[in-house]
Amino acid sequence: MKRAILVARGELTLLLRSRVAALGLGTLLALSAIAAATSYAHMAGERSVRSAQQQATDDLFAAQPARHPHRVVHYGSFAHRPLGVLAAFDPGVDRYTGTTLYLEGHRQNAAAFGAARESSGLIRFGELTPAFVLQVLTPLLLVFMGFPMVARERENGSLVPLRALGVQPGELLLGKALALAALAALAMLPTVAALAAASLLAPTEAIGAGMIALAYALYLLVWVVLIVAVSGLCHRSRTALVTLVAVWAGMTIVVPRLAADIASRTAPQPSRIENDLALQTDLRRIGDSHDPNDPFFADFRRRTLQQFGVARIEDLPLNYRGLVSLEGEALTSRLFVQYALKTMGIQRRQVTLMDRFAVLSPALAARRVSMAAAGTDLENHWRFLQQAEAFRFDMVQRLNRLHAEAVDFADDSARSRDAASERRSRVGAGNWAAIPDFRFVPDTPAGRLAAAGNSFGMLLAWLCLALALGGLAARRMRAEGP
Amino acid sequence: MHEPVIAIRSLKLDRGGRAVLDGLDLEVRAGEVHALLGGNGAGKSTTLAAILGFLKPGSGSIHVGGHCPSREPDEVRRAIAFLPENVALYEHLSAWENLSYFLSLAGETREPAAMEQALNAVQLHAQAWNTRAGGFSKGMRQKTAIALALLRRTPILLLDEPTTGLDPAATHEFNRLLGAQRDRGVAVLMVTHDLLGAAQVADRISMLRGGRVVREWTASPGPERFALAPLYQAFTGESAQ
Repeated sequence: MKRAILVARGELTLLLRSRVAALGLGTLLALSAIAAATSYAHMAGERSVRSAQQQATDDLFAAQPARHPHRVVHYGSFAHRPLGVLAAFDPGVDRYTGTTLYLEGHRQNAAAFGAARESSGLIRFGELTPAFVLQVLTPLLLVFMGFPMVARERENGSLVPLRALGVQPGELLLGKALALAALAALAMLPTVAALAAASLLAPTEAIGAGMIALAYALYLLVWVVLIVAVSGLCHRSRTALVTLVAVWAGMTIVVPRLAADIASRTAPQPSRIENDLALQTDLRRIGDSHDPNDPFFADFRRRTLQQFGVARIEDLPLNYRGLVSLEGEALTSRLFVQYALKTMGIQRRQVTLMDRFAVLSPALAARRVSMAAAGTDLENHWRFLQQAEAFRFDMVQRLNRLHAEAVDFADDSARSRDAASERRSRVGAGNWAAIPDFRFVPDTPAGRLAAAGNSFGMLLAWLCLALALGGLAARRMRAEGP
Repeated sequence: MHEPVIAIRSLKLDRGGRAVLDGLDLEVRAGEVHALLGGNGAGKSTTLAAILGFLKPGSGSIHVGGHCPSREPDEVRRAIAFLPENVALYEHLSAWENLSYFLSLAGETREPAAMEQALNAVQLHAQAWNTRAGGFSKGMRQKTAIALALLRRTPILLLDEPTTGLDPAATHEFNRLLGAQRDRGVAVLMVTHDLLGAAQVADRISMLRGGRVVREWTASPGPERFALAPLYQAFTGESAQ
């Protein structure tokens, strides 16, 4: 180990004295710092906008005047997906999934206002997040710094004298890896500082921040060992550079892109229009509550009259229109949930397929952990959609119940032609404030950790593979002579 | 007469399916400078690699200070200072830093006075001591490497074409240093093409051909240490073959 540390010190001295290496490292540190600062500023702004919008939505809803409950059903409300502080580190799918849901009766709307949809396609080129810097740019810098580390010793002819001094190939490789790992740690420093600051700001996010730091430490360690191993296996540093740049391009660009394409082709998701048309067709099959001859609602009417032991809907103790709304919403919501689950099922299959590609790219595993820990993965978005749908259903049914219980059937029937009936069919403004506000509950840190478990396992498997490659390089070097 | 520090018996070694060493017998004793002459592909570098434990023999034996290089490479390498043909110094380090670095890797430390003495002994200009080795000539590199070999203070010196790149004055000085090492009881095995240089400094010269020693000459006392004509004839004959 002592010799490995000496080798590492020697290598670091070389890097520190090399202007190119210093420039590269300086640029990366600056990029990391800029990414952390700009991403934090952007996300902090976005977080406060969404929080203010949710508050304004809640206030406006509660401030409605006395109204007919069904008008409030259509007035609706909004659910804004809140952002955790770690979203500044990895915005994940936030920009693509939409962040705001309009919640109303009879309909389940899709999330809107995703940044990618709201802006030009240029957003893709302007994104510089700490996660992108660590996933893509840092490995490239490590490649440029580390590719000649061992191959250069061979090319210069210093490998044999080193070994003649008693330096074992394993010690040499370990020393080089330590030096490169020190650079990787330095490159991670701005991010780790930002994560520590985020943990102080929101102590509940400390576990998530720790997960992110650990995942990227593992990911960069995989790169460090891989780079040193390839440098040890290649006889020329030029070959090592070409090999490593190809590996970098494959792992950080080609495989993730290919994985996304293959996943969406293997588990194709119907377009929004196709989905909406299918949903409308199924909705029509349920029946039309406004058609007195509709078989389903005719049956519902018969059952209701039977249940209350009356012959006419006018004699019911509750407003029949409100009861129909309650029944209709329950039926349509069941269909909405069914469609949403089907869509999530398809997307989950796509995610599972993408996860499998982590066998070919550790970047995918690192990305999965960082998005899960930051609460910006699809899992979190689905959680938001499900909670928003549950809230919508509860809100609409509370209003429908109010409709059935607080609005007289006769007034309700006559309100479009009689002003007095219309006035009497309104319910008090205090009822709106009694409806709870939407509050998104994100997954617990333990839940996020569990979701990222497989990806952590994949990163460890990659580390083992890289170490095995390092072992192979050491074995080959042991067999080399002058 | 001293016991052999390096003793090679009936050594056979294949590389890439070709018999490079084919029954090599060689001995180097303490306080002796032994020159190994031979043409390209005669097996000189392979012999050094086998002595250092980089290559495992197919049959036969090697003993270096009582240790077997393939089984106890660490013990063997501790006893040897090796000077390669193409000296590789770290270009970003000065001569002084190179010496410190290599010594620390060998697990050794030397006082600054000893380092100065070694650098003076190899006649490396003092201005170059703290200059980065990137700008060194081949001779300066060679001198730095020789200084390292001296500083190692090992009982065995393995030299691969040590005077290549040295000017005549430096070669003369090198020979003097080698003589001093011999007088200290160091066993020196020198692989070289330089027949005249070898004749000046060696106590014994072995001619390697086809992976085995085919002729051996011992220096006689007096100024004419070797009869150069038969040596030259054997060498050129060997080279021709």
